[in-house]
Amino acid sequence: MNSYRLMKYIRLLISHLILIAFVLFAVFPIYYVLITSFSEVPTLASISISSLIPRPSTLTLSAYYYILFKNPFFLWLRNSLILGVSSMLIATAAAFLGAVALSRINMPGKSALIYMIYVLTFFPFTVTVIPLYLMFAQLHLINTYYGLIIAYSGGSSIFGAYLGKIFIDSIPREFEEAAMIDGLGRFSAFTRILLPMSGPVLAFVALTSFIGAYTDYVLASAFITSGKLWTLTLGMYYLAVTNRTTLYNVFAAFAVLMGLPIFILFMALQKFLLRAYSLGGLKA
Amino acid sequence: MAKKETIIGFLYLLPVIAIILFLTLYPIGYAVYISFTNFNLYHFFHYSWVGLMNYVTIIKSGTLSNIFLQTIIWTVGSLVPMMATGFLLALVLNQRDLWGKNIYMTLMLFPWAFPSFITILVWSGMWNYEYGIVNKFLGLIGIKPIFWFNYVPTSWAALILTNLWLSFPYFTVVFTSALQGIPRELYETAYVDGASMFRRFTSITLPQMKNALSFVGISSFIFTWNNFYPIYLLTGGGPGTATEIFVVYAYQEAFSYNLFNIAAAYSIVDTIILAAFALLMLRLSGIMKVIT
Repeated sequence: MNSYRLMKYIRLLISHLILIAFVLFAVFPIYYVLITSFSEVPTLASISISSLIPRPSTLTLSAYYYILFKNPFFLWLRNSLILGVSSMLIATAAAFLGAVALSRINMPGKSALIYMIYVLTFFPFTVTVIPLYLMFAQLHLINTYYGLIIAYSGGSSIFGAYLGKIFIDSIPREFEEAAMIDGLGRFSAFTRILLPMSGPVLAFVALTSFIGAYTDYVLASAFITSGKLWTLTLGMYYLAVTNRTTLYNVFAAFAVLMGLPIFILFMALQKFLLRAYSLGGLKA
Repeated sequence: MAKKETIIGFLYLLPVIAIILFLTLYPIGYAVYISFTNFNLYHFFHYSWVGLMNYVTIIKSGTLSNIFLQTIIWTVGSLVPMMATGFLLALVLNQRDLWGKNIYMTLMLFPWAFPSFITILVWSGMWNYEYGIVNKFLGLIGIKPIFWFNYVPTSWAALILTNLWLSFPYFTVVFTSALQGIPRELYETAYVDGASMFRRFTSITLPQMKNALSFVGISSFIFTWNNFYPIYLLTGGGPGTATEIFVVYAYQEAFSYNLFNIAAAYSIVDTIILAAFALLMLRLSGIMKVIT
């Protein structure tokens, strides 16, 4: 009995050690960027291990001041938000309608469509980005919000419809049928009954489509040449890669300002999101 | 009645179908066409049909087979540690008598919750020779600073470690939820029958997890194969072209050298090889049915 308990303690001890190691690995880069963003870094080479544990006296907001008031941060933020929110609304609506049809309406060619959506995930974005550029150039959609919004919401709504279908399949049909017996039309049955019940998967589609647009670099750099339409990602790439003289604390402050809202949103919605992810991962 | 149903169904699907037609199928057809022309910087306005010439060029150049091998290294090299780590952590977290599961899980979500475009750039700074924190840590245990991105093996190590950081939370979450789906009675019966912990793992956990492991493995293979940002932002395919994969190489051919025809040919070859792998794996694992 004693050796059994010993084994148990050893097992739990090893488990905690493994988990602590991975938690440190997971959290460290985020902690590091946060600390760097509050530090005064005259030269890059002076960053050292000791600066990882900051003393309150050395903390400063100068990097934030530099980002917010010496760069067109708010312009970039505005552009990113316009693109992100519009793409999110369009993608979520299209995904919900598509998901309802794929799950609830009997029609020919449905499973062919689902296979096709799956096969489309094999194509790298480099296949479509040049043709899209040429198409959008002809339609005068280069250097506009519209071109990017169309491209962003398109990508996320296709996968969203597929994921939504899997989720709605798990909701019993009786719910809408009961509502329809009570005199509701089919469309209102879908929007009043299925829409609220699809909350987790719609939250997932909304957040991923927003993040997709908000963090895209490739399409934005291809479809935007005017500085007035620059997004946060283009600004960040400029500060981090193109403009090598950028101080690392300034880059870090930018990373925090741009990433923290998403981080908080993700953490707040994690229950929904993890459910949706597990669903897409193993519908077995 | 059935006809009316079909029409209504198409109305609901209209946005998605329109998107598939105009934003994916038409551009894909266009890209296939470009790959048979000489559409590049030198023939931007007047390009013409050249047949299979672009494909012959990329096969003859010898770059294709290198990039193919590198794409395999990247995909398999990332996938094995990611899935192993995720599975191990899920098993650890699935112990009933473990304290603090939720705290561990929440903290391990950090890499996932921060947008990867940003964290890859953060990692790029961390691998830096002069001021990177990785070299500072190595200095503590007496290892001299390393030019991570100047050598091929260290470039791969840095890429794969960064990708592990980006992805292991996803695998942990998905595998944890799959483990929780295994009926508890199976373990209890086995325990009463005196099966050892190892035996319970091989005869209950693994077979019950087979579908989840195959499905996640195949989807992640497809995702990693075409995963652009880690390599583009960290090594840019360097040193030389030693860490180029199809999608990064195609992007650079198009946007750095304006060789749109070559880029299109690489993208098409990329898709064909990936599709062949994916279909083979789907067939072998018997997971085809799960998709629909």
